[in-house]
Amino acid sequence: MIFTSFGFLIFFPAVIIVYYFLPARLRPWFLLIASYYFYINLKPVYGILLAGVTLTTYVFAILIEDTRNEKARKALLILDIIITLLPLFFFKYYNFVNNGVYHWLLSAGIRWPLPEITLILPVGISFYTFMALGYCIDVYNEEIKAENNLGIVALFLAFFPTVLSGPIERAGNMFRQFRGRTYFDYNKVVRGFQFMLWGYFMKLVVANRVAILVSVIFNDVDHKSGASLFEAVLFYPFQVYADLGGYSLIAIGCASVMGIDVMQNFHRPFFAMSMSQFWRRWHISLISWLTDYIYTPLAFNLRRLKMLGTVIALLLTFLISGIWHGAAMTFILWGLLQGSFLSIEAVTNKKRKSFLKKYNLTKKRWFVFISCLFTYLLFAFSELFCGPVDSINHAIAIITKIFSNFRGTLYYNSPSTITFTLFGIIFLFLAEWKEEYHEERFTLLNNRNWFIRNISYALLIIIILLVGVFDGGQFIYFQF
Amino acid sequence: MEVQMLTDQLTVIFRKVFNDESIILNDEITANDIGSWDSLSHMIMIAEVENAFSIKFSLREINKLKNVGTLVKLIESKMA
Repeated sequence: MIFTSFGFLIFFPAVIIVYYFLPARLRPWFLLIASYYFYINLKPVYGILLAGVTLTTYVFAILIEDTRNEKARKALLILDIIITLLPLFFFKYYNFVNNGVYHWLLSAGIRWPLPEITLILPVGISFYTFMALGYCIDVYNEEIKAENNLGIVALFLAFFPTVLSGPIERAGNMFRQFRGRTYFDYNKVVRGFQFMLWGYFMKLVVANRVAILVSVIFNDVDHKSGASLFEAVLFYPFQVYADLGGYSLIAIGCASVMGIDVMQNFHRPFFAMSMSQFWRRWHISLISWLTDYIYTPLAFNLRRLKMLGTVIALLLTFLISGIWHGAAMTFILWGLLQGSFLSIEAVTNKKRKSFLKKYNLTKKRWFVFISCLFTYLLFAFSELFCGPVDSINHAIAIITKIFSNFRGTLYYNSPSTITFTLFGIIFLFLAEWKEEYHEERFTLLNNRNWFIRNISYALLIIIILLVGVFDGGQFIYFQF
Repeated sequence: MEVQMLTDQLTVIFRKVFNDESIILNDEITANDIGSWDSLSHMIMIAEVENAFSIKFSLREINKLKNVGTLVKLIESKMA
């Protein structure tokens, strides 16, 4: 089941009604059943995989905690990591590695073909695998206690708002809430529905609309002008943001309606003035996971190398981020690009900050605008390697054409397509601009005036129904 | 070493690593209070502290640091 399906429109209200009618002690158990129903609705057999990862995580966390010998604890953690990663490797990376090995052996004159796997990647596997690993590493680091209740661990990994595409939550935050008694909190419920509404706007009105233009342009490089390709490059980050950001808001909203707090996943990323700021605002749950479990241990072990250690740790962390996104050379290059951007900023950090301070540039509007624009363009071009096209050559062909043959007409499909696309993007951008610079002003959904508040809700729902694309397919991050 | 002397020495390291001469440390200071103290500069600061006091931290100890006060206590325990 997905958030934009008709089934979810029936499933979610039904879950909420039963949830709040049940005694608080039974609610986690009910949520577990509802979550598994939600998940196996997509493909029942993948429920078994989720249950397998859950059981492995549950057992290993207890074993790690109960073991006193440090070497044995470490061995258990490594074994847990290997077993938990096996399904992810099998479904996501086997074909990529298999192909690589096949061609490598072929170049040495050895022909040794292994069969390809034709199974579809289980949705959410990259997300719940990281959550499971994070839990066991936290137990190993003595940051949290192992959970004795299998139901709580199972709910943590299968929780229906987050199981398909995150946010990648932490056991410490979720266990505490699942163990405790949730109660009906009016403010949380209202906030939850607001998040959901805005999430649906982002997905249906912005992401699905932008996707129509962008996919046509990127898939026809030969016949599209450089200007049109540049248009698609500029639009694509909005599509990804509205897609995963919208999904995240629906997920956070669903959880909030049930009285459960899930971490923020985006924080107005297009107002970042540097790539390091950008990565503190974009896919926050993934980046903070990578920071805690990959970057920090790497940087700690390399700390004697000072700045060189930081650079190596950054490159490796973003390489892993690229590989997490997908099994292809494009994703590997994308990860290395992001790592390189951050490394350059880390190396020049002191000088840049002194320069900005000396001329008080961060307070100057023109500088803020240029910095945000430059960061956006850097991300937009690098994002070409993170999904919209299928090969590095394809992405390079797009960039080459933009810089060598810019002239030509702008592709806009039909007047209504471009109008609605621009409407969605501008509406989203203005809303974010208001939040960034005028948080307390022009409030609509939270306005104290009853009339303005309800008119705003009504208008937003009408916009979603009129402009939204309801057959726009799945969320982009389901493929990751 | 007295706590005050230790904090003074830490202040010198913090000012150098985070490139900010206005830093004045106390036990309650956290990364949120110092603009340049992020995950990138954190490990460089840790390495400088290890060098200055000739001590060695474990990753688990680093992960448990909450503020400057806990760092001071950790250094004290290592030097005792």
